[in-house]
This record gives sequence, C-alpha cells and structure tokens, in this order.
Amino acid sequence: MVADLRPLAAVLVSAVAIVLIVASHRRPNLREGWSVLAAVGKFGIVASMLPAVMSGTVYRWSLYESTGIRFLPGVDFALRADPLGILFALLASFLWIFTSFYAAGYMRGLDEHAQTRFFASFAASLSAAVGIAFAANLVTIFVFYELLSLVTYPLVAHNEDDEARIAGRKYLTYTFFGGGVFLLAGTVMVYWLTASVNGDPTLAFESGGMEALATAAQAEPGFAQAAFFLLIAGFGVKAALMPLHSWLADAMVAPTPVSGLLHAVAVVKSGAFGVARVILDVYGPGLIHDLPLDVPGIGEVGLNIPVAIVAAFTLTAASIIAMRKDHLKRRLAYSTTAQLSYIVLGLSMLHPYAMVGALFHIPAHAFAKLTLFFCAGAIHVETHTDYISDMAGIGKRMPLTLSAFTIGALGMAGLPPIAGFVSKFYMLIGSGYMGGEYWIFAGTLLLSGVLNIAYFWPVVYTAFFESEDRHDAKPVLEFPRGGIFESYGAGAEGQKEHVAADGGPSSADRSGSESESESDAAKSNPAPAETDDSGATDADVEDDDYDYAVDRYPSDADVPAGDHVSAVDHHGDHDDHLTGGPPAGGWPRHSPIGESTWLMLAPIAIIATGAVVLGVVPDHAVFLDLITHIVEGVFGVDSFDQLQGLSLEEALEVMSE
Amino acid sequence: MNSSLVDLLPPLLIVAPILAATLPIALGLRFDRTGWSVAAITTTGLFAAAGYLASVVHAGGRVTHTLGGYPRTYGIQLVADQFSILVVLLVTGVATGVLAYTRRGGPRGNTFYTAYLLLVGGLLGISLTGDVFNLFVFLEISSLATYALVSSGDGPESAVAALKYLVLGTVAASMYLIGVAFVFMATGTLNMVELAEAIPNAERQTLIQAGFAFIVVGFATKVAQWPLHTWQPSAYEQAPDGATPLIAALVSTASAYAFGRLIVTVFEVDYLASMPRAASIVLTVGCVSVLAGTVLAVIQREVKRMLAYSSVSQFGLVITAYGVVIAGGSETAFTGAAIHLVGHGILKAGLFLSAAIVATSYGARTVDEYAGLAKRRPVVAGAMAVLLFALVGVPPAVGFVGKWYIALGAVEAELWPVAAVIFLSTMLTLAYAARLLEKMYFTPAAGAASARGHGPGTVATDGGEQSDGSRSSSEPRSDGGDENGDEGREGLASDDGAVETPLAAGVSYDPTGGPGRDGSGRSPDPVSSGMVAVVVVAAIVAVALGFAGGTFADFLEPFLTEVFN
Repeated sequence: MVADLRPLAAVLVSAVAIVLIVASHRRPNLREGWSVLAAVGKFGIVASMLPAVMSGTVYRWSLYESTGIRFLPGVDFALRADPLGILFALLASFLWIFTSFYAAGYMRGLDEHAQTRFFASFAASLSAAVGIAFAANLVTIFVFYELLSLVTYPLVAHNEDDEARIAGRKYLTYTFFGGGVFLLAGTVMVYWLTASVNGDPTLAFESGGMEALATAAQAEPGFAQAAFFLLIAGFGVKAALMPLHSWLADAMVAPTPVSGLLHAVAVVKSGAFGVARVILDVYGPGLIHDLPLDVPGIGEVGLNIPVAIVAAFTLTAASIIAMRKDHLKRRLAYSTTAQLSYIVLGLSMLHPYAMVGALFHIPAHAFAKLTLFFCAGAIHVETHTDYISDMAGIGKRMPLTLSAFTIGALGMAGLPPIAGFVSKFYMLIGSGYMGGEYWIFAGTLLLSGVLNIAYFWPVVYTAFFESEDRHDAKPVLEFPRGGIFESYGAGAEGQKEHVAADGGPSSADRSGSESESESDAAKSNPAPAETDDSGATDADVEDDDYDYAVDRYPSDADVPAGDHVSAVDHHGDHDDHLTGGPPAGGWPRHSPIGESTWLMLAPIAIIATGAVVLGVVPDHAVFLDLITHIVEGVFGVDSFDQLQGLSLEEALEVMSE
Repeated sequence: MNSSLVDLLPPLLIVAPILAATLPIALGLRFDRTGWSVAAITTTGLFAAAGYLASVVHAGGRVTHTLGGYPRTYGIQLVADQFSILVVLLVTGVATGVLAYTRRGGPRGNTFYTAYLLLVGGLLGISLTGDVFNLFVFLEISSLATYALVSSGDGPESAVAALKYLVLGTVAASMYLIGVAFVFMATGTLNMVELAEAIPNAERQTLIQAGFAFIVVGFATKVAQWPLHTWQPSAYEQAPDGATPLIAALVSTASAYAFGRLIVTVFEVDYLASMPRAASIVLTVGCVSVLAGTVLAVIQREVKRMLAYSSVSQFGLVITAYGVVIAGGSETAFTGAAIHLVGHGILKAGLFLSAAIVATSYGARTVDEYAGLAKRRPVVAGAMAVLLFALVGVPPAVGFVGKWYIALGAVEAELWPVAAVIFLSTMLTLAYAARLLEKMYFTPAAGAASARGHGPGTVATDGGEQSDGSRSSSEPRSDGGDENGDEGREGLASDDGAVETPLAAGVSYDPTGGPGRDGSGRSPDPVSSGMVAVVVVAAIVAVALGFAGGTFADFLEPFLTEVFN
C-alpha cells in the first residue's frame, strides 16, 4: 500500500473536464478538445500506475488520511489502484479516447441538440466508472455506482421525446433499485456482520475475500448468504442479468457513442466488475464454495451455483431474443446482455482458469462490442438505416465499417483470431476442470457461440452478399414463429422473379415488416417493362414511382444538415422504417476512405484492430498479464503455474495455506 | 472564556428574537420598511451565537442555564447539549438563509417579520428547554406564529389552511399537555432530568403509559404523520412563498426533535423498551407514513404540495428511527434520526426556496409547468436537481448519511420489515423526485412545441426563435400530443394538446400583483442574485454534509453515551 494521489487524480480529471466543457459551451471545437484532453490525461494517469501495479504495488488514497474527515464511522472514503481496478480503469480510459473522437463525429454528423450536456455527462460517467474501478471498499463503490446511474440518466433521456423519457424512467428505476436498494442493503448487512466479529466493522476489499466476513459467516451463515445475493443482485442490475436486464435494450435510444462506450463497456461492465469484486475481494472463492446453501429437494449447493444458473440462462435466452430483433442496436443490446453473462458465469465457476477467462472477457467483449456499436452508429449517421432488413447490399456503401463489423461479430462468437476466442477458451478449460454438473455450463458456452453466429451472420450476409433489390427474408429470424408457406416479402404470388428482374426496389426488399410491405406493394405501380439484367449491381436503376422516404426528404440520405434531425425517430420500433434503407438508386459505391468522416472511421479501425491484437497476441497485450496477477493475488500464489492443472478444491487448498 | 457569559447564551437565544419581534411593529410606526433589516440583524446574530455555543458545547460538554436560579425541581432549565445545539444551528441557519429570499421575494410587511422572529424564538425555545411544560409553551408560541404566517398568504384558501392548522395544531398541543399532566400526576415534577429519575420509580405506571400515549398522538400530529398529516400540505401550499421554506424546514423538525428528546432523555430508552407495544406503535406510525406520504406525493400536481407530502414520508423515516431506538436501543438509529432531521431541514428549505423562485419568476406552480425549466434557469434547476437527489439518498449527500445510519440501526436491531421499508424508501422518493426532474430537464416547454406546428416535417423551421444563443436550446423536440394527458391542467390545455405554460411563453409573473401578498413597490427583476445564491448554498451544504457522516457521529458521541448509558 503506497499512498498516492494518482487514483484520485484519475477520477477527478474528467470531473474537472466537466467544468471546462460547460464553460466552453459556445465553442464546440474547444469543448470537444477538453473531452479528448481529459481522456488522454485519464489514460495517461492510469497507465503511469500500471508498471508498479504489475510488480505488486497498490496505490492508495484515502479521504481520512489526507484530510481527517471520516465518511462514516469505520468506513473510509478511499480509492486504491490494485490490479483488478487498473484492469477496468485502463480499459475504460483507453476506449474513451477513441470514443470522444467518435462522439464528436457522431453528434456533429447528426447535428444533435444539447451537445454540451451530452459531453459533460459523458465525462462525468467516465469519472464515476473509474471511481468504481478504484473504490477501496463497499461504501465507496456504492457512492460511485449511484453517481454513475445519475450521470448516465441525461444521456439515456437525451432525445427528450416520449420514448427517451420512458427509457430514462426505466433506467433510473432499475439502476436505483439495484444500487440504492439491493447494493445498499447488502453493504449494510456486510457492515453489520463484520462488526459482530470484534466490534470493528470493515468494508474494505481484500484480495481473496474479507477475513472478518469469513469469520462472521461461520456464526451467521444465513445472513451472510442473504448479503451475498443482495450484493450480486445490486451489481447484477447493471450487468443486465435476467430478469433485471430489460433497461439495457430500452437504453439504446441514447446516442450511439453512449450505447457503445457506456452501455457496452463502462456502465454494464461496472456491474460485472462489481460482481467480480464481490466474488474475488469480498467473499472470496473459498467462502463462497464453503458456505452451502440448503436447497430443499436438492441438498446443499455452493453459493455460486444459483448465480451461475442465472448467468447461463441469461446468456442463452438473450441470444435467442437477439436473433429476432430487427433493429441493429437492439440486437447488439441483447448480445451485450448475453456476453455480460459470460463474465458473470466465468466468475461464478470459481475455478482459476474460468476466472482468467471471465476477466479477460471484460476487455475482449469491450473491444469487439464497441466496434459493433461504432459501426451501427456510423451506418446511422451516414444512411439513417437502423434496421437490418434495410441493410441489404450496404457493404458497398460502407466497406470499411462493415468489415470492422464482421471482425466484431466474429469476436462475439468467440472465433479465433479475435479476442473473444481467448476468453471463451479459458472459460471452457475452467469448466472442464470443475467437472461434475459443470458440463452444462460448458455446453451453454458452446451453444451460445452458435447462437452468436446465428444472429450476427445474417447482418454480414445481407450487407455483403445480397443487394438492395435482390434479397430474401431470413426465415428463422424474421418469419412468425412456426413459419409460413411463402416468402411474405413477395408482394403478390408469382411476381417475385418478375419484380426482382426489373431492378426496381420493389416490395420484395421490404421484408422487415409485413404490413408495410403490403401497403408498399399496393402503392407501387406494376413494374415497368424496362429490364436490366445487371440490376443487382447497377446503381443507375431508378423507379421514380416508388415512394421512398428519402424521396420525400432527400436530406435523410446524405445531406448532413441538421434541420431534419428531430423528424427522424431512430429508435422506435417500426414506425420510422421509412427513414432508412437504400436510396432510390441503390447504395452508391464508396471507397473505404471516403465512406464517412475520419472522426468515426479512425476509431472504428483502431478498436477493431485492438480486438484482433488481443486475440492474436494476448500475452503481449497487457490485459492478460494483469489478469493473471489478479488471479494469483486471489489464490495467494506467486505464479500462475502453481495453479496449473489443479481442480478447484486443490486450488482452494493452495489458497488457504 | 467567561463561563457565566456562556451560560447566558441559551436564554439570550430565546429572548432576543422574541423581543426583536416587537421592533418591526414599533419601528413601523415611524419607518416603512424596517422589518427585513431587524430580522436580518437578529438572525445573523443568533446564528453567530449558536455557532459559538456549539463550539463551547463541543469542547466542554453541555451548557445549562437555570432561569432565576430556582432549583430544577421547581424552576426552568435551559440546556444546550450536542443534540439540541444541532437543531439550534439548523433553526438559526435556515432563518438567516430564508431572509435572502424574502428581501426581494417578499412578503415584505413589518408584521410578517414580527411573526418570523416570533417563530424563530419559539423554535429555539423548543430546542433549548429542559422542562416539559415549558416545551408546551414554546410549542404554542411557534404554532401561533406559524398560523399567522400561513394566513398571510393570498386569498381565502390560506385563511382556510391556517384555520385547519389552528384546529389540528391546538388539539395536538392539548394532547401533549394532557400527556404531560398525566406524567406530572404520577411523578410530581416537570423537569426532564428529574422526570428521568422519577418515571421508572413511579407507583402509578398506568398514568405514565397513558401520558406517553397522549404525547405520541400529539407529536404525530405536530410532525404530520399519516393519518394526522392533513393540516400540513395545505398549510405549506397556501403559506406565502417566502414563509413556506421556513415553516417546512423548521416547524415539524423542532417538534420531531422534541419527541426524540422526550424519548431518550425523559422516558429513556430502557423504560420505553419495556413498555408494552410502545415500540411497535411508533414503528408502525413511522413506516406507514413513509409509504403513505410518498404515494400521496407522487399523485400531486402542485410542486409545493408534492414537497409537503414528501415531508410526511421523510419525517416518517425519522419517527421510524425513533421506533428503532426504542425497540433495539440503537444509538446508530438515533444518530441517523438527528442527522436526517438536520439534513431534511436543509434540503426542504432549499427545495421550497427553489419552488418559490420559480413561482416568482414564471408563476409556475404545477409539475407540468416546470417543463423546460432547466433551460430558463439552469442554476436554480441544477441546485434543485442536487437537492432532490440528496433527498432520494444518492451519496455523497446528507440524505444518504441519515438513511445509512437509520438503515444500519434497523439491521442491527434485526427489524427486517422496517429495514425493508427504509431501503425501499429510496425508490419511493425517487418516484416523485424523478418526475419533477424529468419535467425540468427532458420535457421541452410545451408552448414551444405547440408553436412548432403539427407535423414532424415542419418542426425545424422555427427552431431559431426560441434560441437564446446557445445551441443546446435551439432544438427543443416535439414530443407528440400526449403531454397533457392525465396530468395537464384542464384549463391550460390548448387545442393541439400542448400545455401552455407560463415558462414556455416566457411571461414573467408579477409576484406583487396579488392583494394580500405585498403592498410595496415592484422590482424590475423578480429574482435577485441573493435568492439564487441561497439555493445554491443549500445545495452545496447538502453535498458537503454528505461527507460529514463520521463528524456527526463524533459530535453526538458524548450525548449518546450519556443517554444510552
């Protein structure tokens, strides 16, 4: 423990930036400059602590030691930079750098309102996220957890329309229920339990579990178990564990940078990170394993089993739901829900390998999912297309974006050489070592990989291998459950070939929504006789009679002016279907350089590269090193080699020695 | 330090405002507007004296003054200890702060300041007295001053509200007096310290139990606990905007303080713990009030009424804490009650002052009319947001500290249903706080929306008219017509479904127009920087005290060890 101001500085640097951002609200370039500067500064401060932390130093700052103010009796308001905290802080601050460029490009591209509020809240969110990373005890983490809920609320409700307000309400309700009720209750109970040991309550995290709590749990197992589940439920809300997940999909009304960095990385990972803190540093694997829960009819099971079951259920169910979401961001949101449960599942398996996999999944998922969201946002800014069914052939309009999307999708599915493979690999090894009933969790992980392919491949396929005027509905994903006998996409029976041949963007490509395609079909004239064999790739084909939204509002497609923004509801269900999709002549072909502004393309390219680097050379990309340090600390060994090949019981014996 | 001088401070704190209360009227014979100056000088002096007294108490323990030198068996003692000095600081601080609003916001009559100072004197008396009958006297003084303040509001409604309060308040005070009489019959003394010794040894315990029952009912009314709260929302709503912050922050707080004082000093926790059903009754009253108060707050349209019902639930939390103290002998819960009393006082003063500023500048009084406030008055809206979240219990703010101690006390006492109510109260408070916040920040002023036309295609054209220069306000969004739905005031709804709010129209409401409100001249800008500053100060104090959880506990420590043995 070395007293140092840097943990505090890392938290405060973006808090200072809030003031500067608000002060320079009339000069957008300066304002975004502060964002970038704060991001770089935050990353610099965190990175400067990295070498020493890797060699075993823990930096610590405490309010009591610096000022003599005691936050609560027996509880210090303290920050400490240990390997686990550095992992999360490094990830969040590194990705924030690129997100702040991307956010500038995104918000300007759409000419959004209230940008100052947006950037200020964004900086505040990063402050709170790093505060969560560095919190040294349960009360400090609770403080930042609540503040994070608070400052992300303006981002969710950003659009100020009914949908955003309702999503904001839901967001506040869920997160405060998690934080203010479950987490606070759990914290109070842990405080009370540890006070009962020797009258000296403590809430400070200890690598491998709090000793006082372990003692208290022997005397009061029932209360210790209740506190455990309260804490897990509290963090589980932000980690979107079912049944507490539904805020996440609704929160996708927020601008895409928010969905990307906050609702795929900082906010939701703070939940997963909190679960990691509870399992590794509050209860510890040993106590969790040895504190049996008496389930009627089954017998005694470890505390981790219910958590693992919930996580396994969530990742399967969320993947299945994701398959049927046509709105790209919503599909990504359910994918996030599923992927976060990987982390929780890996942690709750308790085995060292599973833990390494779970913790590595934090950066692995972050890089891949941020890429995916950035791509979704870039597509939205450039073409106002939100629905996958409108994206046929979009690969030639935005080649680089969609290529990056493909990389991210592979990472989600856990295929080599992307980072997701490495984490899933470790988790599978871990569940193998656990043996017994744990095979079901391994099976879930494998099944989930298949489901990931099932819901991401259609996007890639339709973007690259289908064209605007010639693409099919995806039966399993889009048809009513149970299927129908004919492709509903065809407006009238027997016309399909004819319609496709004429190259006009007829009803066949409106496969996303039945009712709409029917009405479209009714409106559109019978296909003109003009036949063009190369219609699939020819962008010249026009059908002036077709009533596209982009015909009525030409600015929607490619004019970046802002006067139409409020007319575009880019988050609703299918009400706004008409605003997206290819322009009348099909997607124009763009080069990878010119498809969008560099403010968005560069972050996409860099983050996607990062996902590949993490997957190809994980040993050389700092995160895996950091994670082995964390797990060594938890099990109290000097080198991870000592844990190699051990079953959980053996590892726990090593730990207790 | 001269100790005899310090001994004189407690009586001085009570006598000075009461004597000064005569000055505005007396001077008013010659000069027009002396009330504010007299009140400002008096309250500032009181605040300084209270601060000094607090430092003395902190350093050297309690300060006792025996009036007239009579022994405490017969005479009256004034006691400043750690618990009472907290309330004294709150009373003098809030009384000083509210004056920053009334300077320009009114009411301005000399008689208003007479009642104002009388109220402050009565409240300080409640806080400092060591005699249960004397407590009744000061309760009556402060109540009478409050009736006067409430009735000085606009129109007949405030007279009705004052009458309602008068009837219920007097009944409550009488209940308390009956309780005191029973206890006096059983013990033969009225001094709090003497009573503490006499009560457990009294022969006729039934009298004492009956007396306690009457006292509980009396204070439940005074503190506005459900279902005896009915006087309070209308009193808060109908009182002049400048008087509501003072009343809401202090009057019920002082009564709640007195109740706590009786529990720990007079009856003592051990004795009450053995009294059948005492704990469960107090706990039930508190918990039910927490729940009922919030539900009623959520369905209110008027902001002041909403905040008033919020007080019902917040005081419910304090009463619950007292219940935990009785049931579990919990020092922690008592610390929580003391902190929550002070914290809630500051928060409610700030919130009612904000509401008053909004009402003064735009005439906006309902939740719906607050739409778009954040763009009109970013500073006031920001302060209000901080205060509301502090009330919800978001750390680090004073609301969280109080809740932490109370919840911890309930858990220590293993009163699980009570603990559940306390934890859930966060969500319940959020329900009405978020409603107001959403209106202020994420609902465009509806007048703007209605001016924008009816289809999404045309909305962009007039965006510029609204702009006040910053680009953030140039694009308020159209959000469809369901805005007014069930919440909108009928009379205000225009044809296309948007609510025409004063805020949206940018009309500056003239606070001096009402007949009863103010007689003197009008100012060009109804909101002075002092009015905004005091709200901001309240918000800053609320957050700063959030870091003082340990300090509070240290400060109260000597008192707690004494009363909890």
